[in-house]
Amino acid sequence: MTETPAEHETEAPPASGGQGGTEEFVQHWRNAAYNCFSSGHKFCREVCPVMQVTRNESWTPTAFHANVVAMEKGELEIADIAEDYVNCTGCGACELRCPNTLFTGDFYRFRTRTVDLVKAVRALAVDNGVHQQGWQRWNLLTDERTHEPVLGDVPVSQEHVRDWSDGLNLPVGGETVLFVDCEAAFYRTSVPRAVAQLLQRADYEFGLMNEQWCCGGPAAEMGYTEQAKRFARHNLDDWRAAGVRRVLVLDPHDYITFTEDYPAYFGDEYDIEIVLVVELLAEMIRDGRLTPSVPVDRTVTYHDPCRLNKRKGIWKEPREVLSAIPGLVFHDVDRVTQWSYCSGGGGGLPVEKPELTARISESRVEKAAGLGVDTLVSACPWSERPLSEAGDARQIDVVDIHELLAESLGIEVGGSRGR
Amino acid sequence: MTVAPQLAEPVLDELRGVLGGEHVLTGKAARFNRARVPAPFPVHRWAERVPDLVVLPGSTEEVSEVVRIANAHRIPIVPRDGGTGLTDGAVPLRRGIVVDVKRMNGIVEIDEVNRTCTVGAGISMLKLNEVLAPYGLIYPDDPASYPCSLVGGRIGTSGWSLIGSRYGHSRDLVLSFDFVLPSGKVIHIGDGAGRKLSKSSSGYQLKHLFMGHQGTLGIATQATLKLFPKPEAELSPFFAFSDYDSAYRTVGELARAGVATFAGAVLFDEWKVDYLRRDDEAYIPQPADVRALVCAVAYGYEDEVTAGGRRFMRIAKENGARYLGDEVSEGDWAARHDRYATPLHGRTRAGQVVPMSWHCEDAAVNYSELPQVRLEWHEIVRRLRERFDMFDDWGMFTYTSANTGVDYLTEIDVGIWEQQLDDEAWAAWVQAKRDIAEVSLRYGGSISACHGSCREGEVDLVPQELGGGYDVMLAVKRAIDPNNIMNPGKYGLDRAYDTDDDTDGGTGP
Repeated sequence: MTETPAEHETEAPPASGGQGGTEEFVQHWRNAAYNCFSSGHKFCREVCPVMQVTRNESWTPTAFHANVVAMEKGELEIADIAEDYVNCTGCGACELRCPNTLFTGDFYRFRTRTVDLVKAVRALAVDNGVHQQGWQRWNLLTDERTHEPVLGDVPVSQEHVRDWSDGLNLPVGGETVLFVDCEAAFYRTSVPRAVAQLLQRADYEFGLMNEQWCCGGPAAEMGYTEQAKRFARHNLDDWRAAGVRRVLVLDPHDYITFTEDYPAYFGDEYDIEIVLVVELLAEMIRDGRLTPSVPVDRTVTYHDPCRLNKRKGIWKEPREVLSAIPGLVFHDVDRVTQWSYCSGGGGGLPVEKPELTARISESRVEKAAGLGVDTLVSACPWSERPLSEAGDARQIDVVDIHELLAESLGIEVGGSRGR
Repeated sequence: MTVAPQLAEPVLDELRGVLGGEHVLTGKAARFNRARVPAPFPVHRWAERVPDLVVLPGSTEEVSEVVRIANAHRIPIVPRDGGTGLTDGAVPLRRGIVVDVKRMNGIVEIDEVNRTCTVGAGISMLKLNEVLAPYGLIYPDDPASYPCSLVGGRIGTSGWSLIGSRYGHSRDLVLSFDFVLPSGKVIHIGDGAGRKLSKSSSGYQLKHLFMGHQGTLGIATQATLKLFPKPEAELSPFFAFSDYDSAYRTVGELARAGVATFAGAVLFDEWKVDYLRRDDEAYIPQPADVRALVCAVAYGYEDEVTAGGRRFMRIAKENGARYLGDEVSEGDWAARHDRYATPLHGRTRAGQVVPMSWHCEDAAVNYSELPQVRLEWHEIVRRLRERFDMFDDWGMFTYTSANTGVDYLTEIDVGIWEQQLDDEAWAAWVQAKRDIAEVSLRYGGSISACHGSCREGEVDLVPQELGGGYDVMLAVKRAIDPNNIMNPGKYGLDRAYDTDDDTDGGTGP
């Protein structure tokens, strides 16, 4: 059969990692870049959260691909383009909106992979000594503390990584452990507290990690690939030493890191089952192990975290959870419409350009306000800080879905909501 | 790349003073990315089309100041809106300053009583309609690039709309607009003194002059648009035929039927059907005997669309059509914008899939001439493909342009493997475009119904098409833009400045 794509033309490049030199990088990405470059109209543009607020075409998904074509032609170098690639939250809306993904993706197993390309360019920049000041400092501090500096100058550390669970009597170790991302572990501690108590309520056995480091995902997103892999190695070794078979994650970013980055790093060696808590909770509600009964008197809409809806196709379960909560008035927006929604909190953007994150969050909250709600529910701790700040200006409360479910089960969550 | 002498620091300082530093972009990547539009171009010669500078103004006043500065220093200016045009209007030929208006995307007013809205030129139809939806209103300008082309670019190209047979095209839907002339002066273009009039007999009708200017006369910054009730119902039946002639006959009859809700009809020829079959898991699972397709489109209230639809069905059936069913019809109409841009449909002669760019060559042709134009166009592309394996015939669409069926937008889509383009292949392509345009004119058509005709190749025949009108065009260009700063090199308008002692551009840069 002649009518099949040449493998080299359509093979999706692997996830980013140290890419070596520019020449190697360009050879690796050139066909993927041409598949975008050739794709006529740029439908990705108006769904890109950065583009929606900046209107700067240099920071569009298509520019990110076209730059690779220009690099191949010897017209651009990594130093010319590195700074532009800050302007991406890694939300993946562009990939979904791409006609290549929509119409030839199924047939040729080709999906446009702009998020991976952005990560790869950032890694190429770091490998070539081109740094973004904020990211460099952030990753230096993360390296020193083994956790991200989410509290600014207030240190975070290994000694305090389990502080969020004070009073909950959680064991350490076991076959199943709960991994809590840095933002939730140190800043929005109400989220992991809600999760832990929900699981306890359902008699679900789990423990905490022995020595938990940052998952390494943010370092990988900012281009610090070596550090990301080193952190991943540490966590995997820690799981192995403790006999962990299953890791529960509450944070969509961790979910991506553990289900995409770690398998790419470790291959067959990586046989840990990763479970997303919100899916587990939906199952528990379905099975009658959790029955929310305390009415929650709020009018809400739901913010689909990019890494769940857009990147992992997980959108039903959070809605199942919400619909099980009595008293809620739920004004939903179609998940496809939400392809163009983002909090601006991902991809390292808040570290380098907090003002841009704030504008994207304001835009997201404005859409919620248009629905006449008093509460925006999210399922992603990293979105909740910028969304909360934007929500304050409009009297819209930003609540995590796990917190809300806990409330409807009569659980006093405790912890900090970052205020 | 060094910045042109005209763009030395004092000029940059002036521009930064107007726009703020963050909206004056000198970086290489910013400039390379604004040198390109979707139409294939010789990518090995990308650097020849790169501007010296990009500015991102936020208001009409800022655009005016930028243009005034450029005019004072004789620096070329190229406006850029969505950059989705297929006739290279937004591509700089003489470097200079690209004025990218995407930041000007605000909504100034929605007037529910008079059914208009006033918006910045940098807004897309998709975003505008998201805002209008809660009002029960729609701005029905529907190009293939609907999700990302911008109102200002629609004015610049005098764009064509897929549903224009009911609602009209951009020139009909845009009531008026603010326009920055090459001197920096801001004028208001439209019928009468107000912003919201659809018909006036006072003075020359300037709106059409400034529609489709391709950036050669100035920059549109803010427009007032006609709005319609958001249609309650949409009907888009797809019909399959075993031969082109029956499909052709059906399209004509549908257009001439005079159904009030008729918004357009589209004919796909056998090359187009073959092209779409290339990924038929994603497209209609059609039997092999299907050789042509027709889609009719109606918008309106449920009861009137239903009644009109019955007539469509009857007309199609009488001509041997097979209705493809609601699911296929609705699905394929919903996907109408996306099917244009699938590079993986590209094939070499050996059948190898390669990433090809979609290139669309279009013309306005009377209904009666369509069959012959079609055959001659396919033959031009066949000969081209025979010589160069980087071209592929992606078939033809024919669309009604008006509600009576007088003329049609007809287009041949050519896949071009840009990675492989070299000077020889590019020259052959340009000649093919010239040949395609020649056929259009020979059959009494126009070189373009849709995109404009200012690319290499077809642009050579524009004086022939316009005749004495082209001399008027030259006179207008010279009068409005005496220094030839607006998008110089486009539409052959440099000859407006030819003088006996300077035949190379006259007073232009």
